[in-house]
Amino acid sequence: MLCDICKKNEATIHIKELHSGEIHTANLCSTCASEKEKNGELSALGFNLAEMLCNLGKISSAIKSHQESPAESATVCPKCGWTIGRIKNSGGRLGCPTCYNAFAPMLSEAIQNVHRGSVHLGKRMQSASPDGRVALETELSSRRHELDALVKREEYEQAAVCRDKINQLKAALDKMSTDEASHE
Amino acid sequence: MNNQIDRLLAKRVSFLADAGPDEDIAISSRIRLARNLADHRFPVSADAEELHEICNAVSSAAADSGALGCPECFSFDPEKLDELDREFLLERRLASRDFLNRQTGTRLLVKSDESCSVMINEEDHLRVQTMLPGFQLDAVWKQIDELDSQLGSRLNYAFDDRLGFLTSCPTNVGTGMRASVMLHLPGLVLAGQIAPTIQGINKLNLAVRGIDGEGTANQGSLFQISNQSTLGESEPQILERLNAVIGQLIVHEKNARRLLLQRDQFSLLDHVGRSYGTLRHSYKLTGEEALNCLSGVRVGVDLGMFTSLDIHTVNELFIGIGAAHLQKKEGRVLSSLERDICRAALCREKLKI
Ligand SMILES: [Zn+2]
Ligand SMILES: [Zn+2]
Repeated sequence: MLCDICKKNEATIHIKELHSGEIHTANLCSTCASEKEKNGELSALGFNLAEMLCNLGKISSAIKSHQESPAESATVCPKCGWTIGRIKNSGGRLGCPTCYNAFAPMLSEAIQNVHRGSVHLGKRMQSASPDGRVALETELSSRRHELDALVKREEYEQAAVCRDKINQLKAALDKMSTDEASHE
Repeated sequence: MNNQIDRLLAKRVSFLADAGPDEDIAISSRIRLARNLADHRFPVSADAEELHEICNAVSSAAADSGALGCPECFSFDPEKLDELDREFLLERRLASRDFLNRQTGTRLLVKSDESCSVMINEEDHLRVQTMLPGFQLDAVWKQIDELDSQLGSRLNYAFDDRLGFLTSCPTNVGTGMRASVMLHLPGLVLAGQIAPTIQGINKLNLAVRGIDGEGTANQGSLFQISNQSTLGESEPQILERLNAVIGQLIVHEKNARRLLLQRDQFSLLDHVGRSYGTLRHSYKLTGEEALNCLSGVRVGVDLGMFTSLDIHTVNELFIGIGAAHLQKKEGRVLSSLERDICRAALCREKLKI
């Protein structure tokens, strides 16, 4: 089925809603849906469609709208040869794991827009390097500085969010210590 | 023709046919993990040779681990399947359309009871999936965590100390986990409360999708609730957040059904009765009509209107009425009209009481 708006792309978002006894249907492609979402037109349908698109829409629009510096546009991933242009054309998908390093500045911005945090607090493979602890500790200390600054500026709402993050990081570090102890 | 497909067809679909917690409202719980090999390009940029290399590496790790290598397990190469068989795997919720369309260096491994599967070279090198009946994400997590550790000890996963598991799309980076529960919410739909409810869920950074998981909304009052964010929380934290919201939704749905019974009993009974009548006495049924009527009958079973009808019979029909399932059952390609006739015959037969 083709998108109701552009009549070109395949419609991947189908919304059906009962409105005073009548069924309203909208079939949109992800591009048109995220376009409409940006203009705030979708609330008329009764749904916040933005959230029904997978985050892909948000990632790709964050990446698409990124204004790269000349140095950035010249960057080539040493492993797969992809550029920012190529990533933009593939809907925000990367070429290989090394791309995360090669395009770190652009990605960290996009990732912050989509996820609830910027550091992995979940599962680690046992064969993974012990540096995981270092990454968490670095993050913890930068969050502590952030918290001090927020409290000084009396931004208490933000500070509460930051404090939650600190507690999560501490819990993750604690868990790592007990896991290590139980393996010895 | 693929005789593994015929073996699957003959099996009951355990995530629909078995009992699970809160099964009056929650149909199934599913978790999928995205994983990649450190030394390879992602499928989107890898060439055919590299894709085959990845496919072989993952297949032998799976066979080694014993998890997916037993003789009763299934292994499908989509490029060798015909269109109908691929459609069948899609309806069975074992593979995504994107995966089945790819066809170079792809492979699907399925455990004999269909509870676990691995798509090799979908958007990521591995998409591991586990599914159980009812509302039990914690049990699903326990299973998939174990399977993932077995595979991960034999493969060099792409992992970054700060970002966690690296995925082709940054949408999935971190845990690589998408957990979802399929809910049947006819009470909220009939009471006109579904739109505000969904808006409320969206504010919590969780997603709502329709039955096929690919964006279709509100068919048969079936909704899939899943997490959006994969980075910044541990897997148990993400599941805890989802569990809390789904627990609330289940309470809302129960209240909506109770209120409908109190305030507008005959409308509700009429809706169920007409749904049953249509399924029991039709000779031509489209997929959409059948799905919506099954949804109505499912509420009736919960209300105790059909004491000799098992809710799992209704659940299994959700998949059984699919175009590919009907055609595999008949053993031939059917026209759209023939499908509608077979679908009606199946419903008449299964819903006898
Ligand atoms: Zn469009
Ligand atoms: Zn790369």
